[in-house]
Amino acid sequence: MKWFWCLFFAFWPILGIAVCLVAPGYGWWFPGPAASPLGQRIDDLFYMILIITTLTFIGTQIGLAYVLFTGARRTDPDVQEKAWFSHGSHELEVIWSVAPAFILLFIALYQLDVWADYRVKDLFPHEKMEGLLSEGLHQKRDEHDNMHLAEVTARQFEWRIRYPGFDEDGNLLPLEREPQPTDLYDVNDLHLPASAPVMIMLKSQDVQHSFFLPELRVKQDAVPGLVIPVWFEATKKGEYALTCAELCGWGHYKMKARLVAESDEEFLEYLRELHRKQFFDGVVEAESEEDEDE
Amino acid sequence: MKPWSFLIFCSLALLHLTGCNSSPPQFSNRAEFDDLEPYAQEYVSEVLDSYFGTPTESVAWERLPIEYHFAETTVSGSPSPRKVTLDVSAGGHGSIGPGTEIHFASSNESNWITEWDAATGLATLERKPTQTIAEGEAVIVGPGAILKNGRHLYAQHCQHCHGVSGDGNGPTARYLNPLPRDYRNGRFKFTTTNYDFSPSRDDLDRVIREGIPGTYMPSFKLLKQEEMQAIVEYVRWLSMRGEIEKQLIETALADYTHEAVKLRIDGGASRGEIETEFNKRVAEGEIQESLDVVVDLMVERWKGSDLPENMVQVATNRPPATPESIARGRQLYLDVNNKCASCHGDAGFGDGPQNYAFTPGKPGPGLYDDWNNPVKPRNLHTGIYRGGRRPYDLFCRIRASVKGTPMPKFDTMKEEDVWDLVNYVYSIPYEEEVAGSGRLEEMVDSAESETEPAAAESESNEVASR
Ligand code: HEC
Ligand code: HEC
Ligand SMILES: [Cu+2]
Repeated sequence: MKWFWCLFFAFWPILGIAVCLVAPGYGWWFPGPAASPLGQRIDDLFYMILIITTLTFIGTQIGLAYVLFTGARRTDPDVQEKAWFSHGSHELEVIWSVAPAFILLFIALYQLDVWADYRVKDLFPHEKMEGLLSEGLHQKRDEHDNMHLAEVTARQFEWRIRYPGFDEDGNLLPLEREPQPTDLYDVNDLHLPASAPVMIMLKSQDVQHSFFLPELRVKQDAVPGLVIPVWFEATKKGEYALTCAELCGWGHYKMKARLVAESDEEFLEYLRELHRKQFFDGVVEAESEEDEDE
Repeated sequence: MKPWSFLIFCSLALLHLTGCNSSPPQFSNRAEFDDLEPYAQEYVSEVLDSYFGTPTESVAWERLPIEYHFAETTVSGSPSPRKVTLDVSAGGHGSIGPGTEIHFASSNESNWITEWDAATGLATLERKPTQTIAEGEAVIVGPGAILKNGRHLYAQHCQHCHGVSGDGNGPTARYLNPLPRDYRNGRFKFTTTNYDFSPSRDDLDRVIREGIPGTYMPSFKLLKQEEMQAIVEYVRWLSMRGEIEKQLIETALADYTHEAVKLRIDGGASRGEIETEFNKRVAEGEIQESLDVVVDLMVERWKGSDLPENMVQVATNRPPATPESIARGRQLYLDVNNKCASCHGDAGFGDGPQNYAFTPGKPGPGLYDDWNNPVKPRNLHTGIYRGGRRPYDLFCRIRASVKGTPMPKFDTMKEEDVWDLVNYVYSIPYEEEVAGSGRLEEMVDSAESETEPAAAESESNEVASR
């Protein structure tokens, strides 16, 4: 019977590891690769931690199996071997305190770069963002610290979006912190250029929400009273899910929206269409006139 | 494991298997229903049951202007016994596909589509029809399917606020202010149709797509076009059902409320006599006739709401929001004949004297809407426009009012005056301390300076929000 239990307990970790090894072949794995460069670096961190924990897991399970089998053998009737009493061993205590401490310290230091690039304002990709705004989108820029392309306001239970509008000559204006008469509004449908870093202002109108772009590995809490800059970069054009990742009330599940990453021209065209719709005054000819001057 | 924890586990498991409540959803009646005598109540229930059914077994009453089916079309050919070509020149419906029911009128026979080519209208049928199918034969594709899809989507997305019967009294409604719309009056606030009309399909589509900012009505932007259509039809269906119930109780059966019957009994009639008289009137079709009048009027109104001529008409473009236009708008706003300020306040903070005035028959001071809920005139400084922020939306709000609320319609006002008012309303969030000082300059001529007015405005906005 005792060998049964030994095998029983050794079996599960082996099965676990075996399943993990074959899983990718069957497509049972984490959702696809990140759709943003920073997301890929976050994935690399994740996999590094996964490898460290896997190795630790295998090591401890081997240790466990060893203890299990030698202990079981010592209970055979003819065996004289005595158990080795390890409790209170100073060396062992030091080893298993210091080794994990080093591993954690290593992880803490190693991830600093990614964290800083994502969160520290001075390290945001300002040049690339400036390039997109002034060259890609021909924004008239007099001040250079204003790089937001949209203001996303979470509220129970939707995402309200404010974009900068156009001036009389059809040039994109910078997005001001305070609403402007020219601003364009939308809801649950965030359009932004792909293939360049873009920045949004994140706000909340009521409770705490969380702006979550799973494919881009972006997650940022929206906190009432704060305006939080968030930047991200979609590597490919396409539609990405935008959801709320903070249980914000009974309608939390309703906060499903989308991010549409598109080319610079498509984005501008989208804003122009929004402008046309938003300034529609009920006169049908007027709409086509407006089309002409753009 | 302790015995009690085992018990808890078992009861949880049992609850999980059975659910808390498994009875099918039921339409509820309006409060006035309870005022009717029992036989009149029975009559109302019978009428509603036969014309509308229950939420899970709904009836497609052909008299209502509702799109129940994916398509009503004709057969244009039958290349083989199990294949038919349908006339899709009017545009096939996007939801037609394998599994869609198809009903042949002449044989009164249902069949199911197994393959569908939307471009040519070629459908492969599940089984061979018993009669040969002639060219030109009328078919219904997806009979009742839109209503059914609508019900599913409504149950999934809307019911917890708007209620099974569209009474605006779902389980989450009690936490909301303003309350979810009760569709059963046939009245909707934010429409582009003239005052006496219901919303057009486009109006409902827009309000559901965009949501109502500043209220709990969320946006359902990501629904597909076909899903949207199904929901819109379902909302219209619920609204018509509710309206028929309301009209039945209030007009056709007004003589059979407890109160009316009591008056007649006091006048010498006996209870039995009144009931016999009611049964006689039902048998002779008299009640049915008055119901028919009500239904006809309602159908006409809903049909008319989709006609372009019943939309709020605009002949001239919105003029530029010059300071002069804004000043004229401000004058019109203060004009005693327009009374804007008596509700929205002199400075537009929504604090006008009508908020404190008593109206006979109302439970308290202030304004009440058609649903008897207290309603506050909008604070125009927030820059949030519930019915949409297009100039046309504001134009419609002033022309045709926020329907169902005390906000009046201004349908005889001159068009340029409405535009001046619109320009003024737009400028309110950008005012600097003094009412009427709001500027929308960039919108009309931003040629020279963009940054300066922007900075000024951000300051003024802070003032406004104080
Ligand atoms: C969270 C609750 C909630 C949900 C869910 C909800 N609504 Fe509403 N809805 C409201 C509220 C609140 C209002 C009233 C706003 C007002 O009076 O200004 C409203 C108003 C409306 C109106 C009236 C608009 C008008 O012009 O008067 C319609 C139509 C409507 N909702 C349809 C829907 C549909 C269809 C769905 C589901 C797809 C839905 N609502 C889901 C809360 C909700
Ligand atoms: C009897 C009172 C009353 C008068 C008079 C009145 N309003 Fe209103 N108004 C209201 C109420 C109440 C609401 C809010 C309705 C709701 O959403 O429930 C409102 C809403 C509005 C809105 C907001 C529409 C939206 O989409 O959010 C505007 C703009 C407005 N009124 C402008 C005016 C103007 C301009 C005038 C004068 C020409 C005027 N009102 C006169 C009561 C009034
Ligand atoms: Cu949320």
